[in-house]
Amino acid sequence: MHWIAGVFGRRKEFSLGLYGPPNSGKTTLANRISVDWTGEPVGIVSEIPHETRQVQKKEKIQLSVNGKKLVMNLLDMPGIATKVDYREFLPFGIEVKQAQQRAKEATKGIIEAIKWLENVNVALVVLDSTEDPYTQVNLTIIGNLEARKIPILIVANKVDSKKAKPDRVKSAFSQYQVIEVSALKGDNIHKLYKAIGDVV
Amino acid sequence: MAVQIEFVSSKTLRRMTTKQRLDLVLQSVKKNTILVLEEPLTMDEERQLIRETMKIITKSFPGIEISSLSSEEQDLRSSVIRLLGGKTSGLTVVGPANLVKEMKKDPNKLRVLTK
Repeated sequence: MHWIAGVFGRRKEFSLGLYGPPNSGKTTLANRISVDWTGEPVGIVSEIPHETRQVQKKEKIQLSVNGKKLVMNLLDMPGIATKVDYREFLPFGIEVKQAQQRAKEATKGIIEAIKWLENVNVALVVLDSTEDPYTQVNLTIIGNLEARKIPILIVANKVDSKKAKPDRVKSAFSQYQVIEVSALKGDNIHKLYKAIGDVV
Repeated sequence: MAVQIEFVSSKTLRRMTTKQRLDLVLQSVKKNTILVLEEPLTMDEERQLIRETMKIITKSFPGIEISSLSSEEQDLRSSVIRLLGGKTSGLTVVGPANLVKEMKKDPNKLRVLTK
């Protein structure tokens, strides 16, 4: 049926959700994807956890992958965590009151990200390959996406780091397609686009 | 700080609804208790637990640490055992984040480090 869509110029539309724990590089990846296809970034990146506290969207991104013409709604989700401690923000030079406000917003962001689990068509689970992948949050996110039959691609991010161990991610989630990327440097990003094109 | 650990039997948990299970977990962790559930929470229950936890986070209650060991067995024998009300394997450990520093897990072992 794709050739019919191609002939008539109609593009298949889907929503791509970026899920994962805080600081795994979701916004860096969302920016990389968005800049590649639209020339504009989605959001602000920082080393402070929970920088993204609301779902950030870039809608109607037109892309062509694997000969398919697609329209993608890119959804950069707040990082999902089981705890949000305002004291974690203090070493970054944030005042106590601001840190408490940030924690409040982060908790709301997590609730929002969980609500959106039902509304994405394809999920990228973005993991920091320098960290232990075998955490309950990662398993919970993947388990819930799986239960909803949402296609999942695991992104082993930050492979440009010397500490990266993408094989650990592959071994933890061997039943899924794992794509090793550096969202920061753009390494392997085309493999990711190809994989997205394959599952849509 | 003294560490209090409570074990909840599979039999008790099976009589509870999801809401009752989550209420039990949240009430206990707010009282600085580490809970060991003999029946693991489902993925959906874990999702709901994270969401409900986020609603009650305060300056003194930063959240939870949770980890589950569950049976990967999906074979006919395990399904029949579960259908008959029996238990194959698995458990969930959940504790307050201000007491539990870390839960380390490999597929077969769970280690709880307290502060």
